[in-house]
Parts: sequence; C-alpha cells; structure tokens
Amino acid sequence: MNIGEILKNLWNDSGYNLFGVGDGWKSLLMIIIALFFLYLGIKKKFEPLLLVGIAFGMLLTNLPGGEMYHPDMWTGADAVAGGVNYLDVLQHGGLLDILYIGVKTGVYPCLIFMGVGAMTDFGPMLSRPSSLILGAAAQGGIYLVFILAAATGAFTGGEAASISIIAGADGPTAIFLTKTLAPQLLAPIAVAAYSYMALIPLLQPPFMKMLTTKKERMTVMTATRKVSKKEKIIFPILVTIVVSLLLPSVAPLLGCLMFGNLLKECGVTERLSDTAQNALMNIVTLFLGISVGATAVGATFLTTKTLLIIVLGLAGFVLATICGLLIGKLLYVISKGKINPLIGSAGVSAVPMAARVSNTVGLQYNKGNYLLMHAMGPNVAGVIGSAVAAGFLLAVFGA
Amino acid sequence: MSGFILCALDKEAKLGVVDALLLAIIGIVIVFIVLIALMLLVSLVGKIFDGSEKLQKEHPEWGEKIASCKAKLMFWKKEKPEEAAPVEEAPKELAKGTCGELTLINCEERDAAMIMAIVADSLNTPLNELRFKSIKRVEE
Repeated sequence: MNIGEILKNLWNDSGYNLFGVGDGWKSLLMIIIALFFLYLGIKKKFEPLLLVGIAFGMLLTNLPGGEMYHPDMWTGADAVAGGVNYLDVLQHGGLLDILYIGVKTGVYPCLIFMGVGAMTDFGPMLSRPSSLILGAAAQGGIYLVFILAAATGAFTGGEAASISIIAGADGPTAIFLTKTLAPQLLAPIAVAAYSYMALIPLLQPPFMKMLTTKKERMTVMTATRKVSKKEKIIFPILVTIVVSLLLPSVAPLLGCLMFGNLLKECGVTERLSDTAQNALMNIVTLFLGISVGATAVGATFLTTKTLLIIVLGLAGFVLATICGLLIGKLLYVISKGKINPLIGSAGVSAVPMAARVSNTVGLQYNKGNYLLMHAMGPNVAGVIGSAVAAGFLLAVFGA
Repeated sequence: MSGFILCALDKEAKLGVVDALLLAIIGIVIVFIVLIALMLLVSLVGKIFDGSEKLQKEHPEWGEKIASCKAKLMFWKKEKPEEAAPVEEAPKELAKGTCGELTLINCEERDAAMIMAIVADSLNTPLNELRFKSIKRVEE
C-alpha cells in the first residue's frame, strides 16, 4: 500500500467525505441545528441544564462514522418485532446506546422526578386544595392537542398521545410516555417540550392579558392556612396510594416524585434528600440530555412529522395556558373575587417558571401583589395532573 | 392495564377524530376526578389536623391526660424513662473554623440565621469572625 492509497482510505473513512454520501447532508444539517440549540442554551439560557446536553448529544450522534448511537438497535424492525436486545446493545452498542438504556427503560425520567420531588414544596397546594382544580384544568391542553394530532391523520394513536403530552410542560413525563408509545419520536418531542418550557415567559403573558380583565389581574390573594409537618409527610404517601391504585402505569413516575418529596419532608433522611436533589439529579440530567439528543438522527429527525410536532407542541402550550386561565376565571367568580385568575396559567407543570410568570404579570398591574406562593399551588398540582394524564394515555395505548 | 380502561387501543393504528374526542373527554374527566379526590382528601386531612390543634388549645387538660396515659403504658412496658440511668453525652467535636455552639431560646433556626446575617452586615464583619453564644426571643 502506497502513501496515496493510505491517504485515499483515510479520506474515504473520514466524516467529511461521509457528509456527501447518501443521507450525509442530513447529518450536516442536524449539526447546524445542534449548534443553534447550543447557542440557545448557552447564550439565551433556554433550559441550559438540559438543552446543552440534548444539543451536544445531537451533535455527537450526527458525526458520520462516529457510531456512537445505532437507531436500528432501538427502533429497527427487529427491535419493534421482538423487543430490544440489550445484550447486543451492551456488546456492540456505542457510548450513547449504552447511556440510552436509561431512557428506554424509563429509569432516567423516574430518577429526575425523584429529584424534582425532593426539591418541591407541596405546602402552597396543601394550604389551598382548590389549586388542584387549576392543575387539572391546564391538562385540557393535552387532550385538545391529542384531538388535533389525530385530526392531522399523520400520526398513530401512540404518536398522537406522545405529542399531546408536550402540552403538560413536563419533560420527564413526556420522555416517559414517548419511550413507550412512540420511541421514534423521542427526540423531536423532548426538544419541543424543553424548548417551549424555556419559552414560557414569552408564550404565556399575551394570553394571560388577553383573557383576564385589569380588575381580575389586580386581585390580591389573602394568606392561606399554615400547613403542619405531619400533613406534608402524609401527602406523598396518600398520593402514591390513591393515584397508583387507579392508574398503575404511572406508579413508577409518581412513586418516585412522591418518594423524593417524602425524603425532603420526613426530616430524618436529609442526606438522601440532598443527594436526590443535587448529585443524583445532576448525574441523571447529564445522561438524559445527551442520550435524548442522540436520538435526533438526521434521517429520522428531518421529516414533516417533526415540523408538525413543533407546531402541535406550541398549540399545546397555548391551549393549556388558556384552559388554566378559564378555570381560574371561574374560580374567581365562585370565590367572589378572592382568587386571582392569573394563577390558573401556572397549572401547566413547568415548575417554577409558570408560577414566576403569574407573579410577574400580577406585579405589573398591582405593585406589592406577590402571587408567587399562591401560583406555586396550581404549579405543583400540574405536575401531578400531567402524570395522571400520562398514566391514562399509557393505560389506553401502552398495553 | 387500568381498571378504568376496558380494552387497550392499538398504539400503531391511526385514530379517527371521533375516537380521539371520546378518549379526550374520558381522559380529562379522569384527571379531574383524581385531582378532585385528592383535593377532598387533602382538605379532610387539613381539617383533621386543624381540629386537633383547636381541641388542644381549648382543652389543655386533655394533653396532660394523654401524657399520663402514655406514662402508664411505659410503666407496663417497664420502660420508665425517669428510672433510666442518665447517660453522659460525650462532648461533640467542633468542626474546623467554627466559633462553638449557639444556644437558641424560643427562636427558630431560620430567624437566628437571619439575625446573625444582619448583625454581621451592620458590623461589616465576616460572619465567621463573630461569635454568638445565644439568641433569645424576648416576649413583650
């Protein structure tokens, strides 16, 4: 072999050459999209903890010849027909294939929920139980998008269900549902869910102002009752039993959320609570981001379905906000002006962004009217609501 | 499969709008039922705790009776706390850089932390160079 042949082989094997072979141009386009997401995450700070990981996973998986992720192992004909061959994944898979096991088995979303539970204070919701109604109302967005997705005729039932959960504004729940019902759409759904969550401060205020009157926005909410420690300890146990018995499919997700919360509230497991909300959460976020990003392979990502998912996801966030606000207005009337309808939009479960938006809009119309703690009630109720909605969809399509 | 759903749908089949509408209605109704049930349970638990606190305030003598009942139970279990040999606690080792222990009298940790921070700020002295021996709430 002469030097010329060596150089020729080196060129033929290089990723630069592979960009020009077959669907290689799609990989190039995906790398540009990944760089754009990195820009959004780093410069614009759009959900950077996850978006940076997702974008970098996207970059890695689209480097031709890297062989870090093999979609065929997960969504190929053999995997669909006979299930994923995990031994094959461990023996022949790339780094991202191995990390992806945590997504496919649903371990990462559950561990993330454990951390979320350890960081969540359900106190505001317990002190005003009617918050749960607002948390339920915002899930209307999920079902409206489900109808819209079915109406397009482009998606199967499982795909429509997975797309609809974007409206729940809850990344782990979206991933948990999609990995079971439509794993081939995991990347666009995860990217849409996290991107729109980051855009909540821009998406919600116009609709909040459009659907409420100035008088309603200026409503000052009174302080609620003090919640005892015992109540906070009983709550996660109660929710786990009540909801998991009704919708067993959501038990892993909700169970982990409530377990994390119990670690926080019981007062005797401070070290575990600290680990769940810091070290464990950070490690799982790293793995989740990069392995979800890895599923965004050019050949399957650059389709009209992805565009439809982006549009439907946006519609879902808007519809969820509108549903929450409308029920918020209803509670304003029922409570004779004691509940500010702006907290209704916090029913979407993007914690704590949606609650912060309610607070910010409230402050614009009445300085000194801090709605944050009142909005946290519907906000955390939304997390439970979206998990219940996901449980229902899993029960229907997941068998 | 949930007890609510009698038959699971094929996730690979396309769904008609009418079917989707029907499923959406059932879905949102279930979400509301579950969360309203939780709301009622949370309200109930809250009322029970509020009620017991109120009762304790209205009838402080009941607290004493409960305490005496507990003492009797301890007697039957032969675990009389007053007869237990006092155990001398070994002095705790202090962490490096600490200025010793702080005694809080009728004062919560959070309030104490805030007071110490305010004092440090007003004296313009780093907190680790100050020594607080005790913080006591003064009843007016």
